[in-house]
Amino acid sequence: MTADGACHDRTLPEAAYAAALAGLPDVGPTRLRRLLDGAEPSQAWARVLASHPLDTGRRWRAVAQRTDVAGNWSTMGRLGIGVLVLGGPRYPVALESDPGAPAVLFHLGDPTVIDDMPRVGIVGTRTATRYGLGVAAQLGAELAATGVAVVSGLALGVDSAAHEGAVAGWESGRPTSAPPVAVVAGGLDSPYPKAGARLWERVAGTGVVLSESPIGTGLERWRFPKRNRILAALSEVLIVVECHQQGGSLHTVRAAMSRGISVGAVPGSIRSPASAGTNDLLADGCFPVRDVTDVMVALGLARAGLSPVRQRRPRGRSETRARTRDAAGGERGSGTPAGDSRPIGAIAAASAGEAERPCGRVGVHETASGWLLDAIGWERCSVDQILRRTGCSLAEVSVELERLAARGDLRSDGAWWERV
Amino acid sequence: MIAVVPSATLVGAVGQPVLVEVHVSNGLPGFTVVGLPDAAVRESRDRVRSALLSSGLPWPLRRVTVNLAPSSVRKGGCGLDLPIAVGLLVASGELPAHRTEGMAFIGELGLDGSLRHVPGMIALAGAVTGRSLVVPGDDAGEAAAGRPGPVRATESLRELVDALSERQPWPTVRSGVPERDGKDHGGSSAGPIQCGGASSGADLAEVCGQRLGRRALEVAAAGGHHLLLVGPPGSGKTMLAERLPGLLPSLGSEEALEVSRVHSAAGLPLPPGGLIACPPFRAPHHSASAVSLVGGGTWSMRPGEISLADHGVLFLDEMGEFPAVVLDALRQPLEEGVVRISRARGTATFPARFLLVGAMNPCPCGEGGAPGACRCSDAARARYARRISAPLLDRFDLAVSVSRPDPDEMFGQGGGEPTTVVRGRVLAVRALAAGRGVRSNADLGSASLSVHTRLTPPAKALLEHHLRAGRLSARGLHRIRRVARTLADLDDAAELIDEEHAAEALALRSGRSALAIGSLR
Repeated sequence: MTADGACHDRTLPEAAYAAALAGLPDVGPTRLRRLLDGAEPSQAWARVLASHPLDTGRRWRAVAQRTDVAGNWSTMGRLGIGVLVLGGPRYPVALESDPGAPAVLFHLGDPTVIDDMPRVGIVGTRTATRYGLGVAAQLGAELAATGVAVVSGLALGVDSAAHEGAVAGWESGRPTSAPPVAVVAGGLDSPYPKAGARLWERVAGTGVVLSESPIGTGLERWRFPKRNRILAALSEVLIVVECHQQGGSLHTVRAAMSRGISVGAVPGSIRSPASAGTNDLLADGCFPVRDVTDVMVALGLARAGLSPVRQRRPRGRSETRARTRDAAGGERGSGTPAGDSRPIGAIAAASAGEAERPCGRVGVHETASGWLLDAIGWERCSVDQILRRTGCSLAEVSVELERLAARGDLRSDGAWWERV
Repeated sequence: MIAVVPSATLVGAVGQPVLVEVHVSNGLPGFTVVGLPDAAVRESRDRVRSALLSSGLPWPLRRVTVNLAPSSVRKGGCGLDLPIAVGLLVASGELPAHRTEGMAFIGELGLDGSLRHVPGMIALAGAVTGRSLVVPGDDAGEAAAGRPGPVRATESLRELVDALSERQPWPTVRSGVPERDGKDHGGSSAGPIQCGGASSGADLAEVCGQRLGRRALEVAAAGGHHLLLVGPPGSGKTMLAERLPGLLPSLGSEEALEVSRVHSAAGLPLPPGGLIACPPFRAPHHSASAVSLVGGGTWSMRPGEISLADHGVLFLDEMGEFPAVVLDALRQPLEEGVVRISRARGTATFPARFLLVGAMNPCPCGEGGAPGACRCSDAARARYARRISAPLLDRFDLAVSVSRPDPDEMFGQGGGEPTTVVRGRVLAVRALAAGRGVRSNADLGSASLSVHTRLTPPAKALLEHHLRAGRLSARGLHRIRRVARTLADLDDAAELIDEEHAAEALALRSGRSALAIGSLR
């Protein structure tokens, strides 16, 4: 296609030229905004084509002359990818006033859902523990069901779990439920990570997937932190579920803090490296997220109070605590070895177990398996740790583990066991 | 005149009888060796000549032809020096033929006429025909172990000729050799020296914690199940594996002979008693090539590490670092218990009935699986797990994840059972397996499996649940049943397999999932 042809093709909408401009090499958000400043996309495109060969824009000119604007436009139409231009119709109001608002935004799904409802960003590490994944999925589902849109990045780990939950919450079919919103770094024609392609489709089908990158963009490192600013800007409250000490989620947190968006963090075990970042955030003054009510309070949609509004699930916690106190009283003399990585409850259970061996061969069929659940505690633990804490034989422990798993009280990937 | 001297040569780890025919006739002086000799045999001409001359014996200035029969077998090594020299002396009339009648000879000659060690003596001694065998003094022990008949040893050619011509008595064999030479026809039924389990030095009591790992070790030894240890660096995988041979039963006399034959063929030194009595432990480095592991070689068919680990333990540390080709070469020997190596020069069969113990990290960083500790990407973990092919992984009946011991256990008084106690239970289970007609429970065929591994209803329900959930394949079920049989045997020889045994067998296989990708979901 010649330069003239591109300019004079009046059948193409402005959005097609906006998409083409975003596809020029090394065009970041700032340059794109400068290109589109006070000009229609088609005019800006014509300016690029006409730029003097010795100008800084000569690489752009060369690329622009080769670009098949109409072809790309029809490809995007076929894939269902739409284009939003800053200041144009349907552009999310939430982003419009943001200093880093992307000049051109690509979307899969319906972008108008964004402005209809409160939005909460959920982010976290890609290498999450089962705890983090569970919390992310639970928050996602409960928020979506109560009408709060979940904004996340569709990355592995926490992001995917949150979206999984949000899609499930949306599909629960309550009249109040909200669709999910995703902001991704790469082009919308190639889902990344590949393993999450199905989730990607489901999010696009129920809500919207946004990206700053034009189609055909490969994975470029710098696009991930840039994406994070959009994610932060779209959120009214940002929640970090699990994050390592120097984790990438902290980019998003910084972007949110610089915009005055309140950031919440899910507390985790102080021994879990995957919770080190979130615990740091809590120490720095972020509000703690224990359940969906905490988030609703932060959004201003629920009232904080000491009243029994918050209904915590019992989960046998008080029971464990009482037993811990008893056992600690009885075991004062022995003391706890330094550097022991077991939760306090488990130490108590173990010392109690060694004293009376809860798993005597005769009693094994009658016991309610409470001793085993206590020994496992609330962290993932290995079979070796369980053996050590209970003092039982592998046969006794493994048969009881299988029973608890069949009952749904425990989950395992084989090597590691965890309470549900 | 013609002289015929029996001897033997080595093909793989097996001795082949060879007849050395020496013909001395009139004609131009010369020396020819025919009958597929290799370079070492052809060079024996010069060694024999110098040895004869320096022993004060004449070198016939006539035409000498040496034939090595059967001429279809390729002869290698230098053990044929001595029979050629003896044949030459008989054929040239130096020694009366009746003096060497019924005697076989094996030995390498030095230029001064001394006799030197020949590798593979056990196999060679077992193969020779003839009433008695004459070998170098160094090899007397090995030769006596490999052969029921009398063995005589000499230090030099001169000594031998004096003894044969009855100018001197036969020299007495040096100490360290069992009382086998002479008239003792006890043969291999005498049995090897007993191998005390704890005598290998590494005792199980030294292992801190590791309840799961110890249990897996015991089950592996009792049932002959291949074992895979998965765990982070420094968790004691190697320490555990090194203690496995101590748990295994001592070798029977047949087994000891087989193991010693292979070790001798590989040129490895044998213990003073002549036979290897303890189960061998071989731990090749992960840079090992397929040939070094399986056997073969360009010049000679040398037994590989898997044959040297015959009736013992082959330990592959850092299994993920072995090239995939090398690991997959193990699959056929693992199934058949022998390895057949074919080369243009011929075929050799080595025994390879070993217990395979693998150790590897769960992921490239090593920390895999521990809550939140591993930061390897899923792709990297998948790549790492793929280094062990699924068919090979399938052959491990036991796969456990080993974690680092707790600090308080490190300073604790160990407290675990010593090797001797565990070994007692292992021997009892092995005896039960022998009653079923197999060496160990791992060898139970599918037909005998249904007879010997009957399940109680709860055990059946448990396994059915896992089958339905897709966590167990049909082949996996068979392996679980064999392991459960071993567990039931350990548990006071229970007749039926109970839920406990099945659940424990499943738990002892759970380490496989530490290698699975995306284990967090």
